[in-house]
Amino acid sequence: MRRFDKRRVNRKRKRDQKLWIRRIDSKVRRKARRLRNDVIPKDERRIHYTNPHYEICRAPEQLSFVHHPDETIGFLNSLEHLFSKKKKTFVDLSQTYFIDIGVIAALLSVMNLFKAKGIGFNGNSPKYFAARKLLYDSGFFKELFNPSENEFEFGEKNQLHTQGSKKVIAELSEPLTIQTGYTIFNEKRIFKGLHRVLMELQMNTNNHAVIGVKGAKPWCLSVRHDFEMKKVHFSFVDYGVGIFESLYNKPESNKWFNIMNRVSERIIHGKQYEVLKLLLDGELHRTATGKSYRGKGLPGIKEVQIRNQINNLHVITNKAYADVANDSYKELKNHFSGTFVSWDIGSSNSNILWAE
Amino acid sequence: MGRIIKIARDFSLTPGSRYKDEGNFSAEEFREDILTPEYCEAVKNGYKLTIDFDGALGYGTSWLEASFGGLARKYGVQDVLNVLIFVSTEEPYLIEDVINYIKNAKG
Repeated sequence: MRRFDKRRVNRKRKRDQKLWIRRIDSKVRRKARRLRNDVIPKDERRIHYTNPHYEICRAPEQLSFVHHPDETIGFLNSLEHLFSKKKKTFVDLSQTYFIDIGVIAALLSVMNLFKAKGIGFNGNSPKYFAARKLLYDSGFFKELFNPSENEFEFGEKNQLHTQGSKKVIAELSEPLTIQTGYTIFNEKRIFKGLHRVLMELQMNTNNHAVIGVKGAKPWCLSVRHDFEMKKVHFSFVDYGVGIFESLYNKPESNKWFNIMNRVSERIIHGKQYEVLKLLLDGELHRTATGKSYRGKGLPGIKEVQIRNQINNLHVITNKAYADVANDSYKELKNHFSGTFVSWDIGSSNSNILWAE
Repeated sequence: MGRIIKIARDFSLTPGSRYKDEGNFSAEEFREDILTPEYCEAVKNGYKLTIDFDGALGYGTSWLEASFGGLARKYGVQDVLNVLIFVSTEEPYLIEDVINYIKNAKG
Protein backbone atom coordinates (compact mmCIF):
# COMPACT_ATOMS: atom_id res chain seq x y z
CA MET A 1 0.00 0.00 0.00
CA ARG A 2 1.22 3.42 -0.92
CA ARG A 3 2.26 5.59 2.00
CA PHE A 4 0.53 8.92 2.46
CA ASP A 5 3.07 11.52 1.50
CA LYS A 6 2.04 14.95 2.66
CA ARG A 7 4.75 16.73 0.65
CA ARG A 8 3.69 15.00 -2.54
CA VAL A 9 0.05 15.97 -2.00
CA ASN A 10 0.98 19.56 -1.42
CA ARG A 11 3.07 19.62 -4.58
CA LYS A 12 0.16 18.22 -6.58
CA ARG A 13 -2.22 20.75 -5.07
CA LYS A 14 0.07 23.59 -6.02
CA ARG A 15 0.48 22.24 -9.54
CA ASP A 16 -3.30 21.98 -9.96
CA GLN A 17 -3.72 25.45 -8.64
CA LYS A 18 -1.23 26.76 -11.21
CA LEU A 19 -2.94 24.90 -14.00
CA TRP A 20 -6.30 26.24 -12.90
CA ILE A 21 -4.99 29.81 -12.77
CA ARG A 22 -3.42 29.38 -16.18
CA ARG A 23 -6.70 28.05 -17.58
CA ILE A 24 -8.64 30.98 -16.08
CA ASP A 25 -6.01 33.36 -17.34
CA SER A 26 -6.21 32.10 -20.87
CA LYS A 27 -10.00 32.18 -20.64
CA VAL A 28 -9.87 35.81 -19.52
CA ARG A 29 -7.34 36.61 -22.19
CA ARG A 30 -9.44 34.94 -24.86
CA LYS A 31 -12.49 36.84 -23.70
CA ALA A 32 -10.57 40.14 -23.68
CA ARG A 33 -9.27 39.42 -27.17
CA ARG A 34 -12.81 38.58 -28.34
CA LEU A 35 -14.05 41.88 -26.91
CA ARG A 36 -11.19 43.78 -28.52
CA ASN A 37 -11.74 42.02 -31.80
CA ASP A 38 -15.35 43.16 -31.77
CA VAL A 39 -14.21 46.77 -31.96
CA ILE A 40 -11.02 46.45 -33.98
CA PRO A 41 -11.51 45.59 -37.65
CA LYS A 42 -9.93 42.29 -38.63
CA ASP A 43 -7.25 43.77 -40.88
CA GLU A 44 -6.15 46.29 -38.24
CA ARG A 45 -5.66 43.76 -35.46
CA ARG A 46 -2.09 42.92 -36.37
CA ILE A 47 -1.13 46.60 -36.23
CA HIS A 48 -2.86 46.93 -32.88
CA TYR A 49 -0.99 44.01 -31.40
CA THR A 50 2.40 45.21 -32.72
CA ASN A 51 1.76 48.90 -31.87
CA PRO A 52 -0.54 48.65 -28.84
CA HIS A 53 -0.28 52.29 -27.78
CA TYR A 54 -0.77 53.83 -31.20
CA GLU A 55 -3.96 55.22 -32.70
CA ILE A 56 -4.39 53.86 -36.19
CA CYS A 57 -5.21 56.28 -38.97
CA ARG A 58 -6.10 54.49 -42.17
CA ALA A 59 -5.30 56.22 -45.44
CA PRO A 60 -7.82 56.14 -48.29
CA GLU A 61 -7.15 53.89 -51.28
CA GLN A 62 -6.21 56.84 -53.45
CA LEU A 63 -4.19 59.62 -51.93
CA SER A 64 -4.01 62.53 -54.29
CA PHE A 65 -4.51 66.25 -53.77
CA VAL A 66 -5.18 66.79 -57.43
CA HIS A 67 -7.56 63.91 -58.16
CA HIS A 68 -9.13 63.13 -54.75
CA PRO A 69 -8.73 66.31 -52.72
CA ASP A 70 -11.63 65.76 -50.30
CA GLU A 71 -10.62 62.24 -49.20
CA THR A 72 -6.96 63.21 -49.00
CA ILE A 73 -7.59 66.36 -46.97
CA GLY A 74 -10.01 64.42 -44.74
CA PHE A 75 -7.23 61.91 -44.02
CA LEU A 76 -4.65 64.63 -43.33
CA ASN A 77 -7.13 66.39 -41.06
CA SER A 78 -7.54 63.14 -39.07
CA LEU A 79 -3.78 63.05 -38.63
CA GLU A 80 -3.77 66.66 -37.50
CA HIS A 81 -6.60 65.91 -35.07
CA LEU A 82 -4.55 63.08 -33.54
CA PHE A 83 -1.57 65.44 -33.36
CA SER A 84 -3.64 68.06 -31.55
CA LYS A 85 -4.70 65.33 -29.07
CA LYS A 86 -1.01 64.34 -28.72
CA LYS A 87 -1.83 60.74 -29.64
CA LYS A 88 0.86 58.39 -30.89
CA THR A 89 -0.19 57.71 -34.45
CA PHE A 90 0.23 54.80 -36.81
CA VAL A 91 -0.48 55.62 -40.46
CA ASP A 92 -1.92 52.57 -42.18
CA LEU A 93 -1.12 52.91 -45.86
CA SER A 94 -1.60 49.20 -46.60
CA GLN A 95 -4.76 49.67 -48.67
CA THR A 96 -3.47 52.67 -50.61
CA TYR A 97 -2.82 51.82 -54.23
CA PHE A 98 -2.33 55.32 -55.63
CA ILE A 99 -0.30 58.00 -53.96
CA ASP A 100 0.96 61.22 -55.48
CA ILE A 101 4.07 63.11 -54.50
CA GLY A 102 2.05 66.00 -53.14
CA VAL A 103 0.74 63.73 -50.44
CA ILE A 104 4.26 62.59 -49.64
CA ALA A 105 5.17 66.24 -49.08
CA ALA A 106 2.10 66.63 -46.84
CA LEU A 107 2.89 63.44 -44.91
CA LEU A 108 6.43 64.70 -44.38
CA SER A 109 5.02 67.96 -43.06
CA VAL A 110 2.71 66.12 -40.67
CA MET A 111 5.52 63.79 -39.61
CA ASN A 112 7.65 66.84 -38.82
CA LEU A 113 4.87 68.18 -36.60
CA PHE A 114 4.80 64.93 -34.62
CA LYS A 115 8.60 64.72 -34.43
CA ALA A 116 8.91 68.33 -33.29
CA LYS A 117 6.66 67.58 -30.31
CA GLY A 118 8.19 64.16 -29.65
CA ILE A 119 4.91 62.33 -30.30
CA GLY A 120 5.23 58.78 -31.66
CA PHE A 121 4.62 58.50 -35.40
CA ASN A 122 4.83 55.26 -37.30
CA GLY A 123 3.31 53.60 -40.30
CA ASN A 124 3.38 50.80 -42.81
CA SER A 125 3.89 50.83 -46.54
CA PRO A 126 1.28 50.26 -49.24
CA LYS A 127 0.69 46.66 -50.34
CA TYR A 128 0.62 47.82 -53.94
CA PHE A 129 3.95 47.93 -55.72
CA ALA A 130 3.69 51.28 -57.57
CA ALA A 131 2.62 53.21 -54.48
CA ARG A 132 5.20 51.44 -52.33
CA LYS A 133 7.99 52.15 -54.84
CA LEU A 134 7.09 55.83 -55.00
CA LEU A 135 7.29 56.09 -51.23
CA TYR A 136 10.61 54.24 -51.03
CA ASP A 137 12.17 56.16 -53.91
CA SER A 138 11.16 59.46 -52.39
CA GLY A 139 13.26 58.69 -49.32
CA PHE A 140 10.19 59.05 -47.10
CA PHE A 141 10.99 55.99 -44.99
CA LYS A 142 14.63 57.00 -44.72
CA GLU A 143 13.44 60.31 -43.33
CA LEU A 144 10.99 58.56 -41.00
CA PHE A 145 13.50 56.18 -39.45
CA ASN A 146 16.91 57.83 -40.03
CA PRO A 147 16.29 61.55 -40.32
CA SER A 148 19.11 63.49 -41.95
CA GLU A 149 20.33 66.83 -40.69
CA ASN A 150 20.59 68.26 -44.20
CA GLU A 151 18.00 70.74 -45.35
CA PHE A 152 17.13 68.57 -48.31
CA GLU A 153 17.85 65.01 -49.27
CA PHE A 154 17.71 63.26 -52.61
CA GLY A 155 16.14 59.83 -52.69
CA GLU A 156 16.56 57.22 -55.43
CA LYS A 157 16.88 58.48 -58.99
CA ASN A 158 16.78 62.13 -57.97
CA GLN A 159 13.39 61.93 -56.27
CA LEU A 160 13.52 64.61 -53.66
CA HIS A 161 11.98 65.73 -50.48
CA THR A 162 12.96 68.58 -48.22
CA GLN A 163 13.14 68.41 -44.46
CA GLY A 164 10.49 70.96 -43.70
CA SER A 165 12.52 74.13 -43.86
CA LYS A 166 11.34 77.43 -42.43
CA LYS A 167 13.91 79.42 -44.39
CA VAL A 168 14.05 80.29 -48.06
CA ILE A 169 16.54 77.88 -49.66
CA ALA A 170 17.47 79.60 -52.91
CA GLU A 171 20.32 77.20 -53.69
CA LEU A 172 17.88 74.26 -53.87
CA SER A 173 16.96 75.39 -57.40
CA GLU A 174 20.41 74.59 -58.79
CA PRO A 175 20.45 70.78 -58.35
CA LEU A 176 16.73 70.68 -59.17
CA THR A 177 17.25 72.56 -62.44
CA ILE A 178 20.21 70.38 -63.43
CA GLN A 179 18.32 67.16 -62.72
CA THR A 180 15.18 68.38 -64.47
CA GLY A 181 17.28 69.13 -67.55
CA TYR A 182 18.83 65.65 -67.52
CA THR A 183 15.45 63.91 -67.06
CA ILE A 184 13.79 65.79 -69.92
CA PHE A 185 16.61 66.58 -72.38
CA ASN A 186 19.54 64.53 -71.13
CA GLU A 187 21.57 67.73 -70.75
CA LYS A 188 21.84 70.79 -68.51
CA ARG A 189 19.06 73.28 -69.23
CA ILE A 190 17.69 76.33 -67.44
CA PHE A 191 13.96 76.48 -66.65
CA LYS A 192 13.46 80.07 -65.57
CA GLY A 193 9.96 79.42 -64.22
CA LEU A 194 11.12 76.79 -61.75
CA HIS A 195 13.26 79.11 -59.63
CA ARG A 196 10.58 81.85 -59.78
CA VAL A 197 7.86 79.48 -58.54
CA LEU A 198 10.04 78.04 -55.78
CA MET A 199 10.99 81.52 -54.58
CA GLU A 200 7.41 82.83 -54.59
CA LEU A 201 6.16 79.81 -52.64
CA GLN A 202 8.95 79.77 -50.08
CA MET A 203 8.60 83.53 -49.53
CA ASN A 204 4.85 83.10 -49.16
CA THR A 205 5.31 80.46 -46.46
CA ASN A 206 8.06 82.42 -44.74
CA ASN A 207 6.07 85.67 -44.63
CA HIS A 208 2.41 84.64 -44.41
CA ALA A 209 2.01 81.08 -43.06
CA VAL A 210 1.51 82.38 -39.53
CA ILE A 211 -0.24 85.70 -39.02
CA GLY A 212 2.23 88.34 -37.90
CA VAL A 213 5.20 85.95 -37.49
CA LYS A 214 7.92 85.37 -40.09
CA GLY A 215 9.52 81.98 -40.67
CA ALA A 216 7.28 80.19 -38.19
CA LYS A 217 6.03 77.30 -40.34
CA PRO A 218 8.02 74.82 -42.38
CA TRP A 219 7.39 73.97 -46.00
CA CYS A 220 7.99 70.70 -47.80
CA LEU A 221 8.76 70.05 -51.43
CA SER A 222 8.54 66.70 -53.18
CA VAL A 223 9.83 66.08 -56.67
CA ARG A 224 9.20 63.07 -58.88
CA HIS A 225 11.10 62.44 -62.08
CA ASP A 226 9.04 60.56 -64.65
CA PHE A 227 11.75 59.19 -66.93
CA GLU A 228 9.28 57.50 -69.29
CA MET A 229 7.16 60.57 -69.94
CA LYS A 230 10.18 62.90 -69.64
CA LYS A 231 8.42 65.07 -67.11
CA VAL A 232 9.19 66.28 -63.62
CA HIS A 233 6.39 66.76 -61.07
CA PHE A 234 6.74 69.20 -58.20
CA SER A 235 4.55 69.50 -55.09
CA PHE A 236 4.89 72.13 -52.42
CA VAL A 237 3.02 72.05 -49.11
CA ASP A 238 2.93 74.25 -46.09
CA TYR A 239 0.84 73.84 -42.98
CA GLY A 240 0.30 77.52 -42.38
CA VAL A 241 -3.05 79.19 -41.95
CA GLY A 242 -3.78 79.11 -45.67
CA ILE A 243 -4.39 82.06 -47.95
CA PHE A 244 -7.89 83.01 -46.80
CA GLU A 245 -7.21 82.88 -43.09
CA SER A 246 -4.20 85.08 -43.81
CA LEU A 247 -6.28 87.55 -45.85
CA TYR A 248 -9.03 87.74 -43.22
CA ASN A 249 -6.52 88.68 -40.55
CA LYS A 250 -4.62 91.56 -42.12
CA PRO A 251 -4.06 94.51 -39.77
CA GLU A 252 -5.62 97.90 -40.55
CA SER A 253 -2.29 99.32 -41.63
CA ASN A 254 -1.93 96.65 -44.33
CA LYS A 255 -3.02 97.38 -47.90
CA TRP A 256 -4.89 94.05 -47.89
CA PHE A 257 -6.98 95.00 -44.82
CA ASN A 258 -10.70 94.31 -45.31
CA ILE A 259 -10.01 93.06 -48.82
CA MET A 260 -12.82 90.49 -48.64
CA ASN A 261 -15.43 93.17 -48.12
CA ARG A 262 -13.87 95.33 -50.82
CA VAL A 263 -14.28 92.57 -53.41
CA SER A 264 -17.56 91.19 -52.01
CA GLU A 265 -19.68 92.39 -54.94
CA ARG A 266 -17.49 90.36 -57.29
CA ILE A 267 -18.02 87.15 -55.31
CA ILE A 268 -21.34 85.81 -56.59
CA HIS A 269 -21.73 82.62 -54.52
CA GLY A 270 -19.69 83.72 -51.50
CA LYS A 271 -17.26 80.84 -52.01
CA GLN A 272 -13.52 80.76 -51.42
CA TYR A 273 -12.75 79.41 -54.88
CA GLU A 274 -14.14 82.62 -56.38
CA VAL A 275 -11.72 84.65 -54.27
CA LEU A 276 -8.86 82.32 -55.22
CA LYS A 277 -9.63 82.95 -58.89
CA LEU A 278 -9.60 86.73 -58.31
CA LEU A 279 -6.33 86.37 -56.43
CA LEU A 280 -4.63 84.29 -59.13
CA ASP A 281 -5.88 86.69 -61.82
CA GLY A 282 -4.30 89.62 -59.97
CA GLU A 283 -7.70 91.26 -59.38
CA LEU A 284 -7.32 91.20 -55.60
CA HIS A 285 -3.96 92.91 -55.88
CA ARG A 286 -5.43 95.54 -58.19
CA THR A 287 -8.23 96.24 -55.69
CA ALA A 288 -5.84 96.36 -52.75
CA THR A 289 -3.24 98.66 -54.29
CA GLY A 290 -5.23 100.50 -56.96
CA LYS A 291 -2.35 99.83 -59.32
CA SER A 292 -1.94 97.52 -62.25
CA TYR A 293 -0.79 94.17 -61.08
CA ARG A 294 2.97 93.49 -61.11
CA GLY A 295 3.02 89.71 -60.80
CA LYS A 296 4.02 89.16 -57.18
CA GLY A 297 3.28 86.07 -55.08
CA LEU A 298 0.70 83.51 -56.17
CA PRO A 299 -0.49 85.50 -59.20
CA GLY A 300 3.13 85.55 -60.32
CA ILE A 301 3.03 81.76 -60.39
CA LYS A 302 0.01 81.85 -62.68
CA GLU A 303 1.96 84.20 -64.95
CA VAL A 304 4.74 81.62 -65.07
CA GLN A 305 2.22 79.12 -66.42
CA ILE A 306 0.86 81.66 -68.92
CA ARG A 307 4.43 82.16 -70.16
CA ASN A 308 4.56 78.37 -70.70
CA GLN A 309 7.36 77.92 -68.19
CA ILE A 310 5.37 75.30 -66.24
CA ASN A 311 2.31 73.06 -66.80
CA ASN A 312 -0.61 71.70 -64.80
CA LEU A 313 -0.61 74.27 -62.04
CA HIS A 314 -2.93 73.29 -59.17
CA VAL A 315 -3.54 75.28 -56.00
CA ILE A 316 -5.44 74.12 -52.92
CA THR A 317 -5.85 76.32 -49.89
CA ASN A 318 -8.46 76.18 -47.14
CA LYS A 319 -11.64 75.17 -49.02
CA ALA A 320 -10.64 76.39 -52.46
CA TYR A 321 -9.37 74.19 -55.28
CA ALA A 322 -7.92 75.55 -58.52
CA ASP A 323 -6.92 73.62 -61.61
CA VAL A 324 -5.38 76.70 -63.16
CA ALA A 325 -4.44 75.18 -66.52
CA ASN A 326 -8.05 74.17 -67.19
CA ASP A 327 -9.51 77.28 -65.53
CA SER A 328 -11.47 74.97 -63.22
CA TYR A 329 -12.23 76.16 -59.70
CA LYS A 330 -14.33 74.46 -57.01
CA GLU A 331 -15.21 74.47 -53.32
CA LEU A 332 -13.96 71.53 -51.25
CA LYS A 333 -15.96 69.74 -48.55
CA ASN A 334 -13.00 69.56 -46.19
CA HIS A 335 -10.98 72.53 -44.97
CA PHE A 336 -7.26 72.26 -45.69
CA SER A 337 -5.29 74.19 -43.13
CA GLY A 338 -2.41 75.26 -45.33
CA THR A 339 -1.48 75.66 -48.95
CA PHE A 340 -0.71 73.02 -51.57
CA VAL A 341 0.70 73.89 -54.99
CA SER A 342 1.72 71.42 -57.69
CA TRP A 343 3.06 71.80 -61.21
CA ASP A 344 4.95 69.89 -63.92
CA ILE A 345 7.79 70.72 -66.24
CA GLY A 346 8.12 68.88 -69.55
CA SER A 347 9.78 69.21 -72.93
CA SER A 348 7.11 71.61 -74.21
CA ASN A 349 7.94 74.22 -71.57
CA SER A 350 10.24 77.06 -72.44
CA ASN A 351 13.88 76.51 -71.49
CA ILE A 352 17.35 77.56 -72.54
CA LEU A 353 20.66 75.79 -72.80
CA TRP A 354 22.81 76.14 -69.69
CA ALA A 355 25.85 78.16 -70.74
CA GLU A 356 28.81 77.35 -68.47
CA MET B 1 32.41 104.11 -70.04
CA GLY B 2 30.07 102.18 -67.79
CA ARG B 3 30.33 99.14 -65.62
CA ILE B 4 28.33 95.92 -65.70
CA ILE B 5 26.97 93.83 -62.85
CA LYS B 6 26.20 90.36 -64.13
CA ILE B 7 24.12 88.94 -61.32
CA ALA B 8 24.78 85.25 -62.12
CA ARG B 9 28.56 85.86 -62.15
CA ASP B 10 28.97 88.57 -59.52
CA PHE B 11 26.36 87.48 -56.99
CA SER B 12 24.55 84.15 -57.37
CA LEU B 13 23.00 81.77 -59.87
CA THR B 14 20.02 81.55 -57.54
CA PRO B 15 19.04 84.95 -56.13
CA GLY B 16 16.84 84.25 -53.13
CA SER B 17 14.72 86.03 -50.57
CA ARG B 18 14.06 89.66 -49.68
CA TYR B 19 15.94 89.97 -46.38
CA LYS B 20 19.10 88.32 -45.01
CA ASP B 21 17.23 86.67 -42.14
CA GLU B 22 14.95 84.83 -44.58
CA GLY B 23 17.69 82.86 -46.34
CA ASN B 24 20.82 82.97 -48.50
CA PHE B 25 21.47 85.24 -51.49
CA SER B 26 18.90 87.78 -50.37
CA ALA B 27 18.16 91.08 -52.06
CA GLU B 28 19.35 92.89 -48.96
CA GLU B 29 22.74 91.18 -49.27
CA PHE B 30 22.97 91.99 -53.00
CA ARG B 31 21.94 95.60 -52.50
CA GLU B 32 24.32 96.24 -49.62
CA ASP B 33 27.36 94.32 -50.87
CA ILE B 34 27.22 94.87 -54.62
CA LEU B 35 24.54 97.17 -56.00
CA THR B 36 24.85 100.17 -53.67
CA PRO B 37 28.69 100.44 -53.81
CA GLU B 38 28.65 100.11 -57.61
CA TYR B 39 25.76 102.59 -57.90
CA CYS B 40 27.58 105.15 -55.74
CA GLU B 41 30.73 104.68 -57.78
CA ALA B 42 28.75 105.18 -60.98
CA VAL B 43 27.14 108.37 -59.66
CA LYS B 44 30.47 109.70 -58.45
CA ASN B 45 32.20 109.10 -61.76
CA GLY B 46 29.21 109.97 -63.91
CA TYR B 47 28.85 106.72 -65.82
CA LYS B 48 25.99 104.27 -66.38
CA LEU B 49 25.69 101.02 -64.46
CA THR B 50 24.39 98.07 -66.47
CA ILE B 51 22.55 95.26 -64.70
CA ASP B 52 22.65 92.01 -66.65
CA PHE B 53 20.01 89.48 -65.57
CA ASP B 54 21.06 86.71 -67.95
CA GLY B 55 22.65 83.47 -66.81
CA ALA B 56 20.82 83.15 -63.48
CA LEU B 57 18.28 80.40 -62.91
CA GLY B 58 15.50 82.95 -62.35
CA TYR B 59 14.38 85.69 -60.02
CA GLY B 60 11.70 85.90 -57.36
CA THR B 61 9.62 89.07 -57.53
CA SER B 62 10.45 89.95 -53.93
CA TRP B 63 14.16 89.82 -54.70
CA LEU B 64 13.77 92.15 -57.69
CA GLU B 65 11.57 94.57 -55.79
CA ALA B 66 13.76 94.68 -52.70
CA SER B 67 16.97 95.07 -54.72
CA PHE B 68 15.97 97.82 -57.15
CA GLY B 69 12.92 99.26 -55.38
CA GLY B 70 15.10 99.31 -52.24
CA LEU B 71 17.81 101.25 -54.06
CA ALA B 72 15.23 103.74 -55.36
CA ARG B 73 13.81 104.22 -51.87
CA LYS B 74 17.27 105.23 -50.68
CA TYR B 75 18.57 107.27 -53.63
CA GLY B 76 15.40 108.46 -55.37
CA VAL B 77 13.40 107.04 -58.27
CA GLN B 78 14.61 109.35 -61.00
CA ASP B 79 18.28 109.20 -60.02
CA VAL B 80 18.24 105.42 -60.03
CA LEU B 81 16.47 105.28 -63.39
CA ASN B 82 19.02 107.73 -64.81
CA VAL B 83 22.00 105.63 -63.76
CA LEU B 84 20.87 102.03 -64.23
CA ILE B 85 20.53 100.22 -67.54
CA PHE B 86 18.88 96.81 -67.58
CA VAL B 87 19.74 93.94 -69.90
CA SER B 88 17.86 90.64 -70.16
CA THR B 89 17.79 88.67 -73.38
CA GLU B 90 16.59 85.50 -71.65
CA GLU B 91 13.68 87.10 -69.75
CA PRO B 92 12.88 90.46 -71.43
CA TYR B 93 9.75 90.93 -69.26
CA LEU B 94 12.03 91.43 -66.24
CA ILE B 95 13.10 94.86 -67.49
CA GLU B 96 9.59 96.27 -67.46
CA ASP B 97 8.89 94.65 -64.09
CA VAL B 98 12.02 96.12 -62.50
CA ILE B 99 11.36 99.58 -63.90
CA ASN B 100 7.89 99.41 -62.40
CA TYR B 101 9.25 98.31 -59.03
CA ILE B 102 11.55 101.34 -59.11
CA LYS B 103 8.78 103.73 -60.14
CA ASN B 104 6.45 102.38 -57.44
CA ALA B 105 9.12 102.44 -54.71
CA LYS B 106 7.93 104.42 -51.72
CA GLY B 107 10.22 105.96 -49.16
